[in-house]
Amino acid sequence: MAHVPTANGTAMTGASSLVKSLEAANVDVMFGIPGGAILPAYDPIYDSTIRHILVRHEQGAGHAATGYAQVTGRAGVCIATSGPGATNLVTPLADAAMDSVAVVAITGQVPSLAIGTDAFQEADIRGITMPFTKHNFLVTNPDDIPRVIAEAFHIATSGRPGPVLVDIAKDALQKQTTFDWPTTVNLAGYKPQIQPNKSAISDAAALIAQSAKPVFYVGGGVIKANASRELLELAQLLGAPVVTTLMARGAFPDSHPQHLGMPGMHGTVAAVTALQKADLLITLGARFDDRVTGKLSTFAQNAKIIHADIDPAEIGKNRYADVAVIGDLRETITALIPALTAVLAKGRTDLSPWIESMNKLRATYPLGYDTPADGALSPQLVIERLGKICGPDTIFTAGVGQHQMWAAQFISYEKPRTWLNSGGAGTMGYGVPAAMGAKVGAPDTTVWAIDGDGCFQMTNQELVTCALNNIPIKVAIINNESLGMVRQWQTLFYDSRYSNTSLESKRIPNFPMLAESMGCVGLSCDSPNDVDATIEKAMSINDQPVVVDFRVHRDAMVWPMVAAGTSNDEILIARATAPDWDSQEL
Amino acid sequence: MAIHKLEVLVENEPGVLARVAGLFARRLYNIDSLTVGPTENSKISKMIIEVNVEGHSLEQVIAQLDKLINVIRIEEILEGAISNSKHDTQPDYQN
Repeated sequence: MAHVPTANGTAMTGASSLVKSLEAANVDVMFGIPGGAILPAYDPIYDSTIRHILVRHEQGAGHAATGYAQVTGRAGVCIATSGPGATNLVTPLADAAMDSVAVVAITGQVPSLAIGTDAFQEADIRGITMPFTKHNFLVTNPDDIPRVIAEAFHIATSGRPGPVLVDIAKDALQKQTTFDWPTTVNLAGYKPQIQPNKSAISDAAALIAQSAKPVFYVGGGVIKANASRELLELAQLLGAPVVTTLMARGAFPDSHPQHLGMPGMHGTVAAVTALQKADLLITLGARFDDRVTGKLSTFAQNAKIIHADIDPAEIGKNRYADVAVIGDLRETITALIPALTAVLAKGRTDLSPWIESMNKLRATYPLGYDTPADGALSPQLVIERLGKICGPDTIFTAGVGQHQMWAAQFISYEKPRTWLNSGGAGTMGYGVPAAMGAKVGAPDTTVWAIDGDGCFQMTNQELVTCALNNIPIKVAIINNESLGMVRQWQTLFYDSRYSNTSLESKRIPNFPMLAESMGCVGLSCDSPNDVDATIEKAMSINDQPVVVDFRVHRDAMVWPMVAAGTSNDEILIARATAPDWDSQEL
Repeated sequence: MAIHKLEVLVENEPGVLARVAGLFARRLYNIDSLTVGPTENSKISKMIIEVNVEGHSLEQVIAQLDKLINVIRIEEILEGAISNSKHDTQPDYQN
């Protein structure tokens, strides 16, 4: 739906100027809900080439924009009115900030003369969102609208991506102005470094060549920078083990022999141990998050650190970097490949003892789970079969909790942008609206939301949006009638006192009926024997959203686990069961 | 020494003081003193911030401050020194 560009200097209202600006920024879809203060904008939206998807809750609009952005690599757009409309965007904006997702949020504000008077539906959304937007704007002059929209998209999508909010006073939307789309954006205080420093690249290459125990510690930045192909080349050049964080699942193929899996609190023994025992971490777009490092002072104590990131503030934030490489990761890796090739040509360190010991660890401690003796359904089995049956082209989203960790562990991700989750913020309810946005961004791809019964009850109303707007996502509810991860912590750390974690959701609500009432197909499954047939049935329905209620047993736990605040050396493969370190030569 | 004096050039935009103060508050950096004034360029204001970085690195405080879009340049004022230490995190910046 190509639109005809509007000539600069055309007279129109601020609202029309906003919509023309969004068109000029190549927006093709936005998710939102109208209301009083934003209402002037909804009149020109009615005539716009931009597809507006009317959601059922602004939080859904925000997560949908995030899902769209993560699948397409473009900015996701959401729009809401002032006051509660805007504050309902707070959670998805915080979520997008933590996971570095390019989202542009447009909010209506009360008329400029009413700002500060506690007017009806007034909220200082610019003040509220300052801590977790990359930048935000309050527009009171309609002449500023095109420039601010251009700056918002530039800031959101360049450098380290992030959310940007543009709050526009109602009178600025109503007044007459002239449309004047800027040809360039020039921000005195914002010039992200794209090209890495040459001496940093050669320092990094020299350090890598000296290392006997290197590991590629790969974070979500590799996906943001579209650097997966370059990473594959670099990794194969060196031959060292690779770990991919929760945000980086799919950045490097799970099936690749160098891949040790996910590190961190619920990472594989091999991935966690590789980081702990390495003498060099080649850190690419990762940020030494506490869920990866465990107790920081005991993390990778013998490792030197190469830290490549586009955000200078990540360097040295949690861990000292011996070599810092600031720049776009694709540029960085592209520069590192010939530099490393040249250094390795002069002599290579033998990595084979290190690689062999890590491969042995991976073979000794694969991910696994117990099958209940009473024939009840295992959540891990459901998720494993979903991955196997639907294949590596499928996009999976998740909520937050046990099902999220199992979805990260038991599905084999082979491609970037096929795994979407709320990694940093841990936002329950992310799964369904993110899947909606992902499906809008990739309409020909199968999109599954793997959700918990707790998460699903937070944002499932967006299935109405999906049913009415031809967005046929599929939802697998991993229904253990509990807030499962919290329950797991109660089992482990609170003497099995299950305070307020039982949801009783095998009784209420009836998920298939709820799904049907929202215009979806509702299915259920409670036996391991029916899992494949149920998934195949869901896969055969492509003209409607499908919700499957997988009724799983409630005592399954996520393993391995490094308890919060403890050292990664304390990793357990099951309750009170550490790996047999004595039999390993590390 | 835990106390450093920073001269910060910022865009003269509404809310910029709140952005700087909010950043220091949410990352638990202590401000000992803060003054804001005009420069010869009406689009640019100058802040003098005395920050107590105890428990944090000065580099990290400066890097976080520089992430604010409205912050143009940060310079550390070294008392008694001939020239100040520039912390311009534009493209040539390496930590």
